[in-house]
Amino acid sequence: MTAIGENDSVRAVNWERGTPIPTPPRSLAELFLGFLSIGARSFGGVLPAAHYVMVERRHWLTPADFTETIGLCQALPGPNVGNAAIVLGRRWFGLSGAIVAFLGLFALPYLWVLALALVYTHWAARPLVSAVVTGVGASAAGLLVATAVKLGRPMARKPAGVALMAGCFVAVAIGRMPLPVVMPIALSVGIALSRGGLL
Amino acid sequence: MILIELGTYFARLSLLTFGGLSAVVPDMQRYIVDVKGWTSATDFMRLFAVAQAAPGPNVLITSLIGYRVAGVAGSLVALFALCLPAGGLTWVVSALWGRFRDSPWRGAIQRALAPLVVGLTFAAGYAIATPHAPDWRLWLIALATAAVMLRTRVNPLWLLAGGAVLGGLLI
Repeated sequence: MTAIGENDSVRAVNWERGTPIPTPPRSLAELFLGFLSIGARSFGGVLPAAHYVMVERRHWLTPADFTETIGLCQALPGPNVGNAAIVLGRRWFGLSGAIVAFLGLFALPYLWVLALALVYTHWAARPLVSAVVTGVGASAAGLLVATAVKLGRPMARKPAGVALMAGCFVAVAIGRMPLPVVMPIALSVGIALSRGGLL
Repeated sequence: MILIELGTYFARLSLLTFGGLSAVVPDMQRYIVDVKGWTSATDFMRLFAVAQAAPGPNVLITSLIGYRVAGVAGSLVALFALCLPAGGLTWVVSALWGRFRDSPWRGAIQRALAPLVVGLTFAAGYAIATPHAPDWRLWLIALATAAVMLRTRVNPLWLLAGGAVLGGLLI
């Protein structure tokens, strides 16, 4: 026991001094508990929770490795941290690792959101409750708009980017066209513009 | 059978969730409300609100929709259908990542996706805040939230709480 404890503290010291030596999870149980605690801490954002648990607290990954893994997951479709659970679980324990990490991540938030939905459904008939929840919905829409503004700032000076962005908005929000139709067309146009140096 | 319809729809959507879930919110609203009539646009907005107020990955909105449509089985089918195809793709790409990371196509695809994701995220905000005809009260709450979010570093949960208060007062 002491040997393992000393080993861990040496690693922690190395970590603080800037020569990070990652200590990947040693068992499927440790992997599951780590992702369970990411899910439990994810109030106000899963990504910060994932960084805290995997990099700062458990030292499973170096900061650079974390950034690269999340970067890969952000470039692909799917929930970022959900994808990261699959990539990392696979890296450490193969298929069973991917499954265990994914289930650990979603277990608690799934139960929590379902419980909240049951509570809401029970009280939904009250006018005040429905007004309050509608207000939260409008506010959540505002958060989406703010996110879009933040993400869109870097491309504001590129007319082709603005046109493509506006085209997607109009087709989907106003025209209510199906995304499986809009996405392939917009992506082809985007890749052509990008290869032509316009994006 | 409704579970199969739910599963096929979300599985097809899975490979389009670039930049996270926001990009596919308008299409979820279109399919669930306009095409299938499984719930109303107002109810969709409230489910979205519940999902935002809960901790966890925001893809859990799919479980709420699945639950509304087909109970607990629906909630699991919707969540797994949305995550698994994209997860499978991620599995394959991460195995080939060494080759993919330096490909010129990677940069081209990422630059092409950025305007799409921005446009679709704006569309998501618009679709959620406009369940029927434009309502100034919903737009006011949405724009006020966006303005505060962009000007300060306050935790978004406080902004949702502010939306709750404004909702209680105005709606």
